[in-house]
Amino acid sequence: MSIEISGVNKLFGDFVALDNVNVTIPTGQLTALLGPSGGGKSTLLRIIAGLDSADSGTITIEGRDATRLPAQKRNVGFVFQHYAVFKHMTVAKNVAFGLEIRKRSKAEVAERVDELLKLVHLSQFAHRLPSQLSGGQRQRMALARALAVEPTVLLLDEPFGALDAKVRKELRDWLRRLHDEVHVTTVFVTHDQEEALEVADEIVVINEGRVEQIGSPEDLYDTPANDFVMSFLGEVTRLNGQLVRPHDVDISTRPILAGAMQGTVSRFLRVGFEVRLTVLTENGEEVTVVLTRNHAQALGIEEGATVWVTAVPGAISVPAMAATP
Amino acid sequence: MVKVSTPVRWLLRLVALGYVFLLVAWPVALIVQHTFANGFATLSETLSDPHVQHALLLTAQVAFWAVLINTVFGVTISLLLVRYRFPGKKVLSALIDVPLSVSPVVVGLSLLLVYNGRTGWFGPTLEAHGLQVIFNSPAMIMATCFVALPLVIREVVPVLTEIGDDQEQAARSLGANARQTLWRITLPSIKWAVIYGVVLSLARSVGEFGAVKIVSGNFTGQTQTATLMVEAQYQNFEHDQAYATSFILAAVSVICIVVVSLLRPKEQHS
Repeated sequence: MSIEISGVNKLFGDFVALDNVNVTIPTGQLTALLGPSGGGKSTLLRIIAGLDSADSGTITIEGRDATRLPAQKRNVGFVFQHYAVFKHMTVAKNVAFGLEIRKRSKAEVAERVDELLKLVHLSQFAHRLPSQLSGGQRQRMALARALAVEPTVLLLDEPFGALDAKVRKELRDWLRRLHDEVHVTTVFVTHDQEEALEVADEIVVINEGRVEQIGSPEDLYDTPANDFVMSFLGEVTRLNGQLVRPHDVDISTRPILAGAMQGTVSRFLRVGFEVRLTVLTENGEEVTVVLTRNHAQALGIEEGATVWVTAVPGAISVPAMAATP
Repeated sequence: MVKVSTPVRWLLRLVALGYVFLLVAWPVALIVQHTFANGFATLSETLSDPHVQHALLLTAQVAFWAVLINTVFGVTISLLLVRYRFPGKKVLSALIDVPLSVSPVVVGLSLLLVYNGRTGWFGPTLEAHGLQVIFNSPAMIMATCFVALPLVIREVVPVLTEIGDDQEQAARSLGANARQTLWRITLPSIKWAVIYGVVLSLARSVGEFGAVKIVSGNFTGQTQTATLMVEAQYQNFEHDQAYATSFILAAVSVICIVVVSLLRPKEQHS
């Protein structure tokens, strides 16, 4: 196993950033640390990198105890949200930095830099300064720089967080393809569940300093461990004291569904090809229902109509806690 | 930006230009005019006086050491203030500004109290070991260091704060140790701030008068710096020589600032 995190605790003053975290990150995979802002995921990543230290607990990287090892001896590649480019060096010099520190021969450095710039599609920018690159290009350069030292693990802290939506999506796909090519154990932090579901082999959900669930994107989506994971990974609504996905709610204008709740449509909103309904049920719940426009038309639903709603058979649901809507 | 009507804009320009002209440009221009009233004769005559030569050389030496010391300590203290948290940090930060608010004469007197050879705290001990501080170049360098202390720090601290420590952390994660990070990342990033601080320190050190006058003893040909020389010449009614020496002092400072503003890369703030 590549990275073993056991019993890690971290306090900032009296704020609990990490609370007895135990995670095993498998070799060669792309793992996402997913969770809301301030949940401790970046802190965990920085502790793995040695940029922060844990108050207690151990970090083992490829079987070697790294808990007390300084950052420069851990052989990890780290990519920062705001790129952390070396502003006074050219793109090529940035990428070469780690190799020059390791005193590799000039020819070897030049060859490796060339190869990496090709990999991140920045060959023609080798002699520019980072200030002449766009955000996406800077982040690709930072990635090449981190990969140059052939790290045991590659750590990315919200790598696409500072980029605009379109570039973010492109880079996300590109990271996935890159990982399929280089197979380095990669951990990235994100608060965007779509990014995690799309890119990662495995997802670790972290909230309020605790690990909520670990699993593949399918596991997490299909069998969420609790209401937090369920509501963080996608939209949910509350029906009969259970959390369900709005598209898993079956709706009918007649009481033909078994165990259905009666209610009235209080809001009817069309968004492109879907229709979003808010149904006020008899037991006082506000249920959100998502269905296709055609389906809604076929049922003849409109605002104020009386309807019956229930979860579709086999729908994923977890008991709702008081705090969740 | 708020739009300002054309007459107001011209008025503002006139006020600013007039102010700087009357306060700085004109008086300095008069020095130049007096210096060159007889062509280069006054200048070459003044420069051939061995006492003037000695004074200029002494000023250069004192300024060199003071700037060197202030640069090393200035960068170190700046790093300490920006990158580390420690008890007494606010006090240190406040103390650094003391030289800006305290009169150099007071600085001179306080150094005299601590280091003089008869009654000072350290003075007799140091003199017993053969090191005379007061009325000698060590005290002159110390006094100059004191008055120029904040200049490097106040240039470097904001730049260090602005660049943050991301780049340093990236360097660490790429395998660089503390020394490599300092030389390859931190110092190159603050290079221009340091150079600017050095230039300001140099200009300030060359022009220091009050503190140096007290601790140097002002012995002509021995501990008389160029600024002290100007005063002596002026009081001896050698006005032309006083202007010529002043001109040299002013020229050094102006040249420093011009050279740096020419060298400084234009796209520094991208």
